Amino acid sequence: MAESVKVLPEDIQQLIDVYEWDMRTREGVQRFRELKAKSLPTVALDGDLMYESQIPMQEELAEEIRLRYHQKNMDGNHAS
Amino acid sequence: MPGNQKIQRYIYKTSGVCPAEIHLRVHEEILEDLCFVGGGCPGNSILVSRLLKGRCLPEIPELLRGIDCRQGTSCPDQLEQALTGIQNGTLQPADTFRTDVDTRKLDRVCLIGDLAGNSLALVDLLESAAGTAPDAFYCLGNLTGNSPQNEEVIRILKKKGVQAIQGEADWQYVQGTTPADWPKMSWKTRDYLTRVPQLLRFDLAGKKAIAFYGKYLQDLEGYSDYDPYSLELNMICGLSNFMQDESVFPALEAMTPQFDADLILFGQAGKWGHWHIGGKDIVAVGPAWDGHRLYFCLLNADGGTVQLKTTRLKPKREICPAK
Repeated sequence: MAESVKVLPEDIQQLIDVYEWDMRTREGVQRFRELKAKSLPTVALDGDLMYESQIPMQEELAEEIRLRYHQKNMDGNHAS
Repeated sequence: MPGNQKIQRYIYKTSGVCPAEIHLRVHEEILEDLCFVGGGCPGNSILVSRLLKGRCLPEIPELLRGIDCRQGTSCPDQLEQALTGIQNGTLQPADTFRTDVDTRKLDRVCLIGDLAGNSLALVDLLESAAGTAPDAFYCLGNLTGNSPQNEEVIRILKKKGVQAIQGEADWQYVQGTTPADWPKMSWKTRDYLTRVPQLLRFDLAGKKAIAFYGKYLQDLEGYSDYDPYSLELNMICGLSNFMQDESVFPALEAMTPQFDADLILFGQAGKWGHWHIGGKDIVAVGPAWDGHRLYFCLLNADGGTVQLKTTRLKPKREICPAK
């Protein structure tokens, strides 16, 4: 699953910070439970559980990230 | 640097590099083994390990010095700090939890759960369970509790040859951290509890099994997520909340191929249970006495299938519950 994130196009990589948790560790387990995830592997975006037990298509994941980025920027513009 | 003859194991918590820890084994100032764990490039770390294994500790630091990777440090730099710590004594040998191995050939094991210092319950259980002719008796702790019968429980366990496993209350007695109103314990009993294993390894009809009490092991000083059987502990105690959270069972199943053990017994759940997940058997060993009935369980693995037969008994005499 981590690979599907790592191979995203460069323009997408510049929009995101990627954190990977090792499920063998207590820290990974804690994060898994915080996200209320149920299965592995899991991808969350901005703390929202997005993909469980499935590896998203690169285009699908990239589109979701772009959408969230634009929504945030829109919110930012409105706020200003 | 400790001057004894045995191999010492060290765990160095890194800072600013990918691997979270460096595990080292040292014998008489010779680096016997080296492993970067928790991240980083496994190929490079294996190479570094192979190149440094067998070298004398004092000659290694100059090979590592001045190598920068990021944030002003690197894996070699962290390794140098670990070796310096070992040599000047600031890094102490790792001592996580005590593990014993029962090497007997076992097909049937009688399990007794949390006794909480109830010697009358123990006597009744052992008398009744003897009829099932197990190859071994295991008591998964707590052996002791807020009970005036603690010393008697330990005396019976020793006399009857019951393999005990240290529970959290037992550990608190060892550490001297039990609540102030709990009965005092003799030095001899406390010494016995100190030497009781915190994790027991055994084979049941060819199945690799481990038994432990519960979560307190994760809180022991030096506990590493990458130690043997830590994965099983983290999954049982942390992920599944002692198998009480069924929603995470799919994730648990995904992790089971990495388990070392085929059969995992634990005592902290507070009730009996048996799950077969991802080809692994997970058994919760419930309390010995619930205030009304006594419980023990016969575990066997006939034909490769783990079976658990729990027996509920009416006590032969009045059982005084632990406070």
